[in-house]
This record gives sequence, structure tokens and C-alpha cells, in this order.
Amino acid sequence: MAEVKKHATPMCDELKKGSWPSFVDDIEQKGLAGKQECLDLLGQLELSFKHKETHWKHGGIVGVFGYGGGVIGRYSDAPEQFPSIAHFHTVRVNQPNGKFYSSAFLRKMCDIWDYRGSGMTNLHGSTGDLVMLGTKSDQLEPIFFDFTHQMSVDLGGSGSNLRTPECCMGKSRCEWACIDTQGIIYDLTQTFQDELHRPAFPYKFKFKSSGCPNDCVAAIARSDCSIIGTWRDEIRIDQAAVAAYMAGELKPNAGAHSDRDWGKFDIQKEVIDLCPTKCMWMEGKTLKIDNRECTRCMHCINVMPVALRPGVDTGATILMGAKAPILDGAQISTLVIPFIKMEPPYDEFKDFVGSIWDWWMEEGKNRERFGELLQRQSIQELLRRTGLKAIPQMVKEPRSNPYVFWSADEVEGGWKRDAAEFRKRHAA
Amino acid sequence: MAVDKEELKRLLVEFCTKKAAFKSKMYIKDMYAACPDASPREVKNAANELVREGKLEFFSSGSTVMYGVPGFGKGVEEAFEEEKAE
Ligand code: HEM
Ligand code: HEM
Ligand code: SF4
Ligand code: SF4
Repeated sequence: MAEVKKHATPMCDELKKGSWPSFVDDIEQKGLAGKQECLDLLGQLELSFKHKETHWKHGGIVGVFGYGGGVIGRYSDAPEQFPSIAHFHTVRVNQPNGKFYSSAFLRKMCDIWDYRGSGMTNLHGSTGDLVMLGTKSDQLEPIFFDFTHQMSVDLGGSGSNLRTPECCMGKSRCEWACIDTQGIIYDLTQTFQDELHRPAFPYKFKFKSSGCPNDCVAAIARSDCSIIGTWRDEIRIDQAAVAAYMAGELKPNAGAHSDRDWGKFDIQKEVIDLCPTKCMWMEGKTLKIDNRECTRCMHCINVMPVALRPGVDTGATILMGAKAPILDGAQISTLVIPFIKMEPPYDEFKDFVGSIWDWWMEEGKNRERFGELLQRQSIQELLRRTGLKAIPQMVKEPRSNPYVFWSADEVEGGWKRDAAEFRKRHAA
Repeated sequence: MAVDKEELKRLLVEFCTKKAAFKSKMYIKDMYAACPDASPREVKNAANELVREGKLEFFSSGSTVMYGVPGFGKGVEEAFEEEKAE
């Protein structure tokens, strides 16, 4: 075993005392097993606690040849004290869709990382990537070669790029998937390779796709373009199964809440009264749904999965502009396309994305997320740029603005008027 | 309007080198000014080719990317701090 030096870290050690497993324990164990980087990392964390400021330098010219993303450069500003983490770059690896791995793959990735990096990983970053933490500049090209040639994986996105697209496991395991999320995300990843690896945008851009409105990848909160499965026909009802739930023969929520006795299942209280649009009722022993009013929230289907299923005319709802709170607070995506059929090769969707990117690349300010541009230049501008039709959901509140604004090309002759012609008819 | 790519690359290098004397790191958006006739996508493609040829270089914070001219410039920290102050 390699000789390692442990720093005194009393403040970090406090974090081991709670009842949950502590990252301090994990990192320290790895360090004592021979990885100086791990012990230096804790040493520097201790120093940061002491000074109440970070000791990481931010960014730099690191990357692999031809790629403008995938590697995030980090350097210690106390390299004399912590020499093994003088360089501590993060490598993002494009995760497989639905995050299916074989244990052989994961073992091999860990072997590569023990050899060429700090041995520390993070599964998964909130970007979705498989995150490899801490390596040195001269290891980057060999790592890139190993990943692409031995492991058949690519680097993910970082910087002002398209970020690694992400999806729920969708049709591979989930009966609720209304669209093939894995197929869509694989196609977008291949189609937009250039945008993924080479910075093109004012800032980051994320696609995330969930197969149904349960939205297991939180696309609506975390992506500039959220692709969420939905249906436009009717919820399929098996009335016999509804009766079985009511009689207590089937467990609500597939038994997910059965660790405690919640009493007898009450369809009125637990399903009908909780429907957000109040579009369900019982007629005798028959459950009725007014599908025109259903907002596809999934609540009733989640509670009674044997009795209720999404419809069969399926597609996606597209929402744009979610982001974290750097400017103007956090924002949830805004509905732009209520329903679009999502079938390969997804041309209609890709044309829409093209019009969004053209707008944002032209008008977006440096470091302005798409959602901020949308706020700044309005939904009307979105409609003009994309050729989409206005829908009631785009109106924030009715009647708050009595004016209708026309643009020059919506008016015959534009804003140019012949004043002399006008004065012939109207005295000054 | 399509712009000749080699001409665009020449304009970009000229623009960035001139600018690098007082501001060594710039966003892709700032580089549109090198050739107003070129579309953002054309500028992006040309700039990326220049990076592959080693005439420009990427400069990333992890969240944003800036472009620089190799050999010019100050530390990363300064460049990003300056942007925030603007
Ligand atoms: C039976 C006849 C009328 C009814 C029921 C009526 C009703 C209303 C209502 C409900 C509003 C509020 C609209 C809103 O919330 O945006 C309104 C606003 C208004 N009405 Fe009338 N109105 C009548 C006749 C008229 C006439 C004859 C005029 C002028 C010649 C007039 C001029 C206006 C103006 C200037 C406003 C204000 C609009 C604004 O705030 O932007 N109304 N009216
Ligand atoms: C070219 C024609 C017109 C123009 C450009 C025009 C323009 C305006 C403007 C700029 C305002 C102020 C809006 C504001 O509060 O910010 C206004 C208010 C108003 N206009 Fe006109 N106007 C025109 C014709 C008319 C006509 C023909 C009438 C009635 C016969 C009218 C009735 C009113 C009324 C009642 C208000 C008061 C709104 C209020 O204070 O709530 N306008 N107009
Ligand atoms: S988002 Fe819907 S389809 Fe995807 S895994 Fe979750 S419940 Fe299933
Ligand atoms: S999916 Fe939601 S809105 Fe639609 S019927 Fe069920 S509970 Fe009501």
C-alpha cells in the first residue's frame, strides 16, 4: 500500500457523527487505502471551513482535443499544502439512457479511475452524467482514449454547450411511458453531437424527457426544453378493477404506503376529491371521467394502476425555459406545445428546436438562459420565431393588459405612411 | 447569407487578436461583430474550427465557455470576475 499522509480535520470529522453515512467517512476510507488525493481533498475542505472561503480556482483551458466541453477544470489555490490535488479536474461521462449499467462496466470504469484519477466518482450529477472526480491535465487525453475506445462511452456536456440529454427509463420498464424516452434522447444526442461537444450558445441548454407527467427526471424543473409524455384521448378504465380497489382486494398505490394502516381505501376521499380539475365522479358503481377537463396529472392512475391507464393516442407536451435561480429566481418550464407526436426521425420537433436556437443565438445575452430570454422578449416573440399558435395556457392572467401590439409586418404597408396623402384627407 | 468560411476564419482571428490586446477572453456572442453578415451558426462553426487548428482556444468555467487567443491574457479568475462586474 502506498504511503499516505492524513491531515488533521477536526471540523470535517464532526460530519461523521450524524446517523447517516457521511461522505467524510467514504473519502477518508478511500484515502487511507492509498489515495493521497482523497486525504488532501479533506485537508483542503478543512482549510475552507476555517477560512470560510473556497480554495478551488475556477475553470481554465482544460479539455480534450476537439471538444469544448466534458471536462471541468479545477485547481487548488493551496498546492504546496495539498500537492496531489493541485489539479483536480472533473470529467463528465455521457450516461446510458435510463442509466442501465452492467456491473462489469462499472468495475472497469472504477479501475480506470483508480489508475488515472482520484478514485472518487459521483453517480449521478444533477446533469445526469456519470461524474468522475479529480484528475490531472496530463491524464485527460489517455482517459478520453480509454473511455471512447475501451468503454464505448463519450464525454458529456459542460460549458456553453448542449448538456448531456437525459431521460427516465421509459418504455424499458415503465408501463406508463407514453413516448419512447430512451429512443428520443438517443436520437437527440446523436443528432446534436456538434452542439454537445462544441460551445455554440450564450449559456447551457438542457433537454430532458420523461415518459409521462409523473416526470421522474424532473424535466419540467431542470431543463430548457422539457419533453413530457402525455395522451390526448381517454384514460382507459377497467371498472372491475375499480370495484376491486373499492372492495379492498387491490392495494392502492400498488402497496407503496402499506407500511402503516391508513384505514379502508376511500375512492371519494383519496382519488375523486384530490383530482385537481374535479373531473371525476361515481355514477352508482361506475367511475366516470370527463376527459376534456382532465389535466393529465397522473394522480388517479398512480393510486389505482390496475384500474386506470393512460390513453393510447400518445405523444409529448413540450415546455421551455426551466432554470435554477441565478437571475430572477428559479423558473419552471412554460408550456409551448400541448401535444406533438414524437416518432422517429422527430423532424417536426427538431425544426422547432432549430428555430429556438436561432433566436437564442441571435438575441440571447452572454450567460442568459433560454428561459430568461423568453421572459425578456415575451411569449409573443416566441410565437413569431417559431410559428406556433397562441394558446390560452400562455396567458399568465387575463385582462391585465388592454393593448394589442402589432408588429410592422402584421400591418399592411408596415409603419411607413405617406404624410402628404394623409393630409389630403385630414386637415392639420 | 452564406459567408466564405476561410474568409470568416481570417476575420475572426484578426478581430480576436486585435481585441485580445485589451480583453483576452470573449464570448462567442462578442465575436459576431467580426463579421455581421455571418449567421451565429457560421461564426460558431468557424470559431470551433479555429480551435481545432490551435489558432483560438477554449476557456471554460464549467458553466460557460469563452474563447481566447493562445499566448494572450490573464488568469481565468480575472476574466470571469470582469464579466460578472459588467
Ligand atoms: C352597455 C354598455 C356597456 C357595457 C356593458 C360596458 C362594459 C364595460 C366593461 C365590462 C368594461 C371593462 C372591460 C375590461 O375589464 O377590460 C368596460 C371598459 C370600458 N368601456 Fe365600456 N361598456 C359599455 C359601454 C361603453 C361605451 C358606450 C363606451 C364609450 C363610448 C365605453 C367605454 C369603455 C372604456 C373606455 C373602457 C375602459 C377600457 C380599459 O380600461 O382599458 N363603454 N366597459
Ligand atoms: C388614433 C386614435 C386614438 C389614439 C392614438 C388614442 C390614444 C390613447 C392613449 C395613448 C390613451 C392613454 C392610455 C393610457 O392610459 O395609457 C387613451 C386613452 C383614452 N382614449 Fe384614446 N385614442 C384614440 C382614439 C380615441 C377615441 C376615438 C376615443 C373615444 C371616442 C378614445 C377614448 C379614450 C378614453 C375614454 C381614454 C381614457 C382611458 C382611461 O384613462 O382609462 N380614444 N387614448
Ligand atoms: S416519468 Fe412516467 S414513464 Fe417515466 S419512469 Fe416515471 S412514471 Fe414511468
Ligand atoms: S389524471 Fe389527474 S386530472 Fe386527470 S382525471 Fe386523474 S386525477 Fe383528474
